[in-house]
Amino acid sequence: MPRRRDRKEQMLAAAQYPLDWLEERSGLIGGLRYFLFRKVPGDSGWWHTLGSATLTAFLVQLGTGVILAMYYKPDPKSAYESVQHINNDVTLGWLVRGMHRWGASVFIILIFFHMARVFLFGAYKYPRELNWVVGVLLLPLALLEGFSGYLLPYDQTAYWATVVGININGTGPFIGPFLASFLRSGPEITGDTLSRFYSIHMLLLPGAILGLIGLHLYLVVRLGVSSPPWSPEAAGRERAEPPPVPGSGLVNPAPRGVTKRPD
Amino acid sequence: MEPQQGQGKPHLPPPSLWPIGFAIGIVCILVGLIVSWPAAAVGVAVTVVFGFLWVRDVTGGYRRRDIGTEPAVGGPESATEGAPAIPADRGEAAMPEPAPGERFPRSVFLEGATLGLGSVIAGIVTVPIVGFSIAPVFQHVHHDEIDLGPISNFKEGQYVVTTFLRDPSEGEISRRTAYIRNNGFLDNKPSFTVLSNRCAHLGCPVQPNGPMFDKQKLEETTKTGDVTLIPALPAGGFGCPCHGGQYDQEGNRTAGPPVRALDRYEFYIRNGRLAVGRTYSVSHVDGAGASAKIHKYKETGPGQHVDGPEQWFYPLQPPS
Amino acid sequence: MASRRVEENRVAFQRYKEDVKRDGKPFYPYAMFHDTVMSLVVVCVIVGLAFVWHYTSLLGPSLAAKADPGTVSFVPRPDWYFYFLFYLLRIFKWPNSVILGTVGIPTILLILALAIPFIDLRRERRLLRRPIAIVAAVLVALSMGVLTYKGATAKEALGAELLADVPNWVKSEQLPPQALPGAKLFATSGCLNCHTYQGVGGSQLGAPNLSAEGSKNKGITFQIAHLKCPSCVNKGSPMPSFAAFGNANLRKLAIFLEASKGPH
Repeated sequence: MPRRRDRKEQMLAAAQYPLDWLEERSGLIGGLRYFLFRKVPGDSGWWHTLGSATLTAFLVQLGTGVILAMYYKPDPKSAYESVQHINNDVTLGWLVRGMHRWGASVFIILIFFHMARVFLFGAYKYPRELNWVVGVLLLPLALLEGFSGYLLPYDQTAYWATVVGININGTGPFIGPFLASFLRSGPEITGDTLSRFYSIHMLLLPGAILGLIGLHLYLVVRLGVSSPPWSPEAAGRERAEPPPVPGSGLVNPAPRGVTKRPD
Repeated sequence: MEPQQGQGKPHLPPPSLWPIGFAIGIVCILVGLIVSWPAAAVGVAVTVVFGFLWVRDVTGGYRRRDIGTEPAVGGPESATEGAPAIPADRGEAAMPEPAPGERFPRSVFLEGATLGLGSVIAGIVTVPIVGFSIAPVFQHVHHDEIDLGPISNFKEGQYVVTTFLRDPSEGEISRRTAYIRNNGFLDNKPSFTVLSNRCAHLGCPVQPNGPMFDKQKLEETTKTGDVTLIPALPAGGFGCPCHGGQYDQEGNRTAGPPVRALDRYEFYIRNGRLAVGRTYSVSHVDGAGASAKIHKYKETGPGQHVDGPEQWFYPLQPPS
Repeated sequence: MASRRVEENRVAFQRYKEDVKRDGKPFYPYAMFHDTVMSLVVVCVIVGLAFVWHYTSLLGPSLAAKADPGTVSFVPRPDWYFYFLFYLLRIFKWPNSVILGTVGIPTILLILALAIPFIDLRRERRLLRRPIAIVAAVLVALSMGVLTYKGATAKEALGAELLADVPNWVKSEQLPPQALPGAKLFATSGCLNCHTYQGVGGSQLGAPNLSAEGSKNKGITFQIAHLKCPSCVNKGSPMPSFAAFGNANLRKLAIFLEASKGPH
């Protein structure tokens, strides 16, 4: 028996070793541990899952998009045929394309739900204003993703919706005509327009979205999530009795990880 | 300002080779002014670089001395213990003050140089990228005349739905449709009405309000690609199915959101054949047929006013 | 100097941090379990939609016909999440207001959304004590919903599609055979860009429903005269003249209109 226990401990130590190695050289494990074991309000629940659900939908878009890019040809002479090829010939191509097509819709719906939840919870109030702003900026970026991706199958719906969309941009005062011309890559829709939309759709916008999502998550982890406003146990609720330590508020917000304690 | 004694040693400027480069740059400018502009530009660059290095060399003594005296100025006040509260205008986000006696205190020169070099890099990288992506906005596009076949294919007084390749080298993506009506002769010259089918609201395909006679369809192959001609009877003018814009037979807006009349193509008669060229925008048309008075404007995007007070929203147009 | 509100905000956030530290639950596995279940639902819905799209026609075709920039018989539609904008553009049917629908309202909405945390500065989060915010949210959600629904159900008057409706009209209106040529002409001549007939056609321009035009018994002569010059017969009528059709075609249309006695 003792020998078996020894072996178990040895195996655990062996499994632990690479993690320790990584932690000693990068501190990444500590960061992960902080992320996983940080405290969230006890009354947070299903309402708070909309944000991570949105992230999941976005990750599905990233994954399926990478695979679609392996088969798609951004050229007006072959774009339509390459999408047909994905649909009909590539193994499970219809599934990947369907997931990308409908994942976009789910992504947008979830953004709106998430936004509504944050609004109803009043979770955009101090100190989370900046995170609301980042989130609102993500909304038009996601809609632009949808718009730029809509052209790529290059069927009738795609082409004409894009014509109208570009011309909507064109009606903006002063810079509108130039913006439309920039999107078209010239005065008319040509093959360059398609490859331009392809590049915007799969490099420019996803990059911007990823960056803002990173900032969004950083702020969520740093500031915590709000309790439901109706919860009797809401974290940070106003108490009937005076606050336990008067004047414990910070003159300047403390740096992360430092909680100022009254002396 | 005379050099002063710094750190107990007489200050002597070290020997420097930079003035030689500076002089070469000046020579280069002078020669370049006579011989070629690029050489002069290189000369300017050489002069600026070496001049900068020279000045830096010469002023090195002052900068070292200034840094050396800093702790004395900072005094005990800047010590970390018992420091006064940070002033309200210098919160956490402000740059850290150097600790007294620090080996690498703040160097304004290095800060400036780092930021400056950074912006040079950003400029070098950004200019071609941005230029590359926005250049098409400012480039003129050459439009060849598109041959639509013999005039005899267009019966007088009848609209013909004509589709053709606007730019044969681009292929099918440049396929466009025009509603063409032969107006007969005006002063012995053939007259045509050539309406673009792009809606003046947001660019949807405008459709004839009336039957199209598919059985009388004609297909022509001209030197600029294939052309199809379908006679139509747009008795109710033209309508846009997207947002409900309506036009009369001259292309004037009659109802709905379009901001002006339908665009038109320039047309030419070449050896008894009809050809179309650029498009232009039209605010409205007075009269009808060959004698119509067309109020022409430079080609403008859909949804953009060409007349009335709203035209001031769109003072400039990219070339087309 | 920090204002009183800022001070109170900081105190409240400090209290929040202390409460969470004392009474909170670790993110993993308590909250993350909920997240994971929800994410599973999301992925299942996405895969499910892909299957439904592939195996049924409920979600529309997987690919329309290849793009034809020269088409004269296609009605463009955006993806569903732009339906609200699509319908907004139909509402602004006056040329001078186009810019409001295209860029004005979307830009204003975006700026308002960005400004919300800087407008609503109170610390109050309870729903019933934020009446303005709740009313605004309900109104925005309602109008977006209505616009999206209207956009999704908006009908276009497209000749080729309307022609397929003619047999239905014959059935429900019990049209006599001599009204059939007129019905086909009616369907393809853009009448339904402005008028409605048996639930199809565009109503945004406000022209009357013609489903029961014949029950007014105005007579074929009147109908022809009206089609030739609407404003001569009805003063101020914005309807364009259809005189270019010629008498034979106009007669067909008039017979059809007089035969339309409303659905039986």
